[in-house]
Amino acid sequence: MNKLLPKPSKVIDFQRETFDNFTITLDAKMKHEPGQFVQVSLLGFGEAPISIASHSDKYIKLNIHEVGNVTNALAKLKKGDKVFIKGPYGKGYPMKKLKGNDIIIIGGGCGVAPLKGVIDYIGQNRSNYNNVMLFLGFRTPDDILFNKELKKWRKDYHVNVSVDKDPKKTCYDFNVGFITEMLEKTDLNNNNKVVFLCGPPIMINKVIEILKNKGFNDNQMFVSNERLMFCGIGMCCHCMIRGKLTCLDGPVFRYDEINKYEND
Amino acid sequence: MVNLLKLKKAHLKKFLNKLKNEHKLYVPVKTDLVRFEEYKGDIYLKENSYFPIKEFFFKKEETLFDYNKNKISVPEKESEKRIFFGVRRCDLNAIKHQDMIFIEKFNDPYYKKERENSILIGYHCNTAPSEFCFCGSMDLKDCQDLMFFDKGSYFLVEISSKKGSSLIKKHKEFFKNTDKKITTKKIPNTDILHTKDISNLYNNPDWKKASSMCLSCSACTALCPTCYCHSIHDEGNVHNLNKGKRKRTWSSCQLKEFTKVAGGHVFREKREDRFKHRIYHQLEYFKERYGVNLCTGCGRCISGCPTRINWLKLVNEMKK
Amino acid sequence: MKTTKLKIGFYGITGCAGCQLSFIFNEDELLSLIDLIDLRAFPFIKEFNLEEKFDYVFIEGLVANKNDLKTLKKLREKADKLVALGACAHTGCVPAYRNFTLKENYKHLLYMKRTEIQDVKPTPVDTHVNVDYTIPGCPPDKNEIMNFIKDIVKGKEPKINNNPVCVECRRNNNVCLLDVGKPCLGPITRGGCNSVCTNGKFECWGCRGLTDDADIKLLVKLLKEKGFSEKIIKQRMRSFVGLKLPNLEKIMNE
Repeated sequence: MNKLLPKPSKVIDFQRETFDNFTITLDAKMKHEPGQFVQVSLLGFGEAPISIASHSDKYIKLNIHEVGNVTNALAKLKKGDKVFIKGPYGKGYPMKKLKGNDIIIIGGGCGVAPLKGVIDYIGQNRSNYNNVMLFLGFRTPDDILFNKELKKWRKDYHVNVSVDKDPKKTCYDFNVGFITEMLEKTDLNNNNKVVFLCGPPIMINKVIEILKNKGFNDNQMFVSNERLMFCGIGMCCHCMIRGKLTCLDGPVFRYDEINKYEND
Repeated sequence: MVNLLKLKKAHLKKFLNKLKNEHKLYVPVKTDLVRFEEYKGDIYLKENSYFPIKEFFFKKEETLFDYNKNKISVPEKESEKRIFFGVRRCDLNAIKHQDMIFIEKFNDPYYKKERENSILIGYHCNTAPSEFCFCGSMDLKDCQDLMFFDKGSYFLVEISSKKGSSLIKKHKEFFKNTDKKITTKKIPNTDILHTKDISNLYNNPDWKKASSMCLSCSACTALCPTCYCHSIHDEGNVHNLNKGKRKRTWSSCQLKEFTKVAGGHVFREKREDRFKHRIYHQLEYFKERYGVNLCTGCGRCISGCPTRINWLKLVNEMKK
Repeated sequence: MKTTKLKIGFYGITGCAGCQLSFIFNEDELLSLIDLIDLRAFPFIKEFNLEEKFDYVFIEGLVANKNDLKTLKKLREKADKLVALGACAHTGCVPAYRNFTLKENYKHLLYMKRTEIQDVKPTPVDTHVNVDYTIPGCPPDKNEIMNFIKDIVKGKEPKINNNPVCVECRRNNNVCLLDVGKPCLGPITRGGCNSVCTNGKFECWGCRGLTDDADIKLLVKLLKEKGFSEKIIKQRMRSFVGLKLPNLEKIMNE
């Protein structure tokens, strides 16, 4: 089988989240773990790895930030359009192994996307996990993703949303300031807890520092990494971090597996 | 099965001419550099080729598929019967390592097609062809179809595979039986890398010494017979922008662009990190996954480097 | 019929027209290429040129006289995006080399009476106006211009090569010219030219400007070790990109 050929998939929904972020739903039926990703192709533009921001075997939702050629072009898709996908790829969050734990989910900006897949999964398997806390950080109130879902999450989980700044002073149900400040203020211990992290490297590093100060061990933290990727199957080697392949061994790594390797 | 035969040197060209009739035959030829070219009567065996034969299998540019609007089709590829004569042990092992990646692990149809109908005939180095050869430090194996051992007036020809054996059978008139033996396959003075275990050297400050001499020109990875990193991109057709090709091309971890993501962030920004990444991929990362060192000790990354960064010396010194 | 095609203009100021020719040299693709766009103006090859508003203006040449400056500023106003086409527009190229020579040597050659072409300091376009994109090279590679146009038509951000010339040179199986005693600037020079010069065994003079990653200091050191005089190295490095190397003197003395 030719592993480099993508398969067609239909766009069944297009939802704009913010001015530079949107969610598409594809009619791809695939079994996958939360945290895994697919390679999305728009022929003529190329391919981009996008994490799955849902948990269903009937469709996949992809939350996409407009940052490059492929994602900018994907933003122009309409219901009924075709894209090409490969996957699901990579190792996700080891949800089954973590049964019975408290789960702390920390996401920054478009890093919230893969975590939404986790939250959906937890929603479907709620009894397997104890307390669930969400810390979600965005630049401004206009950048907040998943507004619709957030309403529901607030009912079910302990939710903290913070925005770095709020120039329009629209603030009412979120905190203004860095997510790290929020985390620092929160009383946390590491008893039966695991942390899922996804966001910009600068945030991740700071969050990990804070969590370590609160007594968390490296093997309690799971980080989802971003790297340049082409093949998605471990052949092109662009996504290698110290011998670990983000596409095969990641994108979710237990922190002790990669710790501090962000430049390697 | 007889696995060692004798071929008179005077008969080599006749033999090659015979092979040429049924195959595309590539041999090392000396022009401005030593290169593998189609056999036209000249052959040069005193040095190893400047460029490895990697490009004949793992193509510099490969069309993965054509697209037309929302239709994908893989182009039909003619597969030629090819023979490569005069390939050194390091390069044979390098092809083996590429086979491990592209065929055994990923079953890549593009690479496989190029490999399928190719026969590799080795030429054993009696002495190290370059001062930077270090194949003796690497655990090389027999992975040729035939191996030619140069014994002055004749060659001892070792049959190492079915492909090789059937080729010999076809041309048995050239070969004579022999009671001679191959006593050693070690190439003298090539064990100049004292250790392959660099696991505890990652934070050694001396890496800076080497990388401060690095221009990041990527000659090392282009000349390397094993480097297999690549990029993939789409190329539209100007006559009809709905049409185009998705292509795979060589890339190099020594370039800044290698880890640049959409948005502009470069993960391996520092030259030192890029330099180390190459050596670690060759000696450590690949081994973790595939069980062998990726590097086969051909030395081209040193002899072809514009500033001749000798990382063997560096590693040896760091390990002291 | 109202066209939604991108409105494009090709213009030249002081230069040899070689960069505009490079676009035209896409002979087999030219008709399709022009069909993709609304080529409003191209005074070099067109008699009628519509000059209102452009989505993209490709400008060849450098500012070497007052007229150039006037033209450039006018075009900048008319263009949504300005593309510096070729080495003169990008770096000042060879015409800017006279910044590094004595004016007395050529003073007698100046057109003293023609005020409209009175001398100004020869400088690339980004000295005077904001430049959105650059297509480097003396001349630029014809494929690069074509790919640029294909990209903007598709709405893709055009990608300008940021790898050294060595990448293509090695891929083209060339002998390394540094190894055969030529002062090649390939390792610090932006590729994308398919190493056209070194393919012909002519060393790279750096016409496409520096890569973001260029280590000038190291190449200077290497060239010195190979026996090239400071004078030669300086001349070479300044031939095409002199104005983009403000620290060259300092680097040479280190």
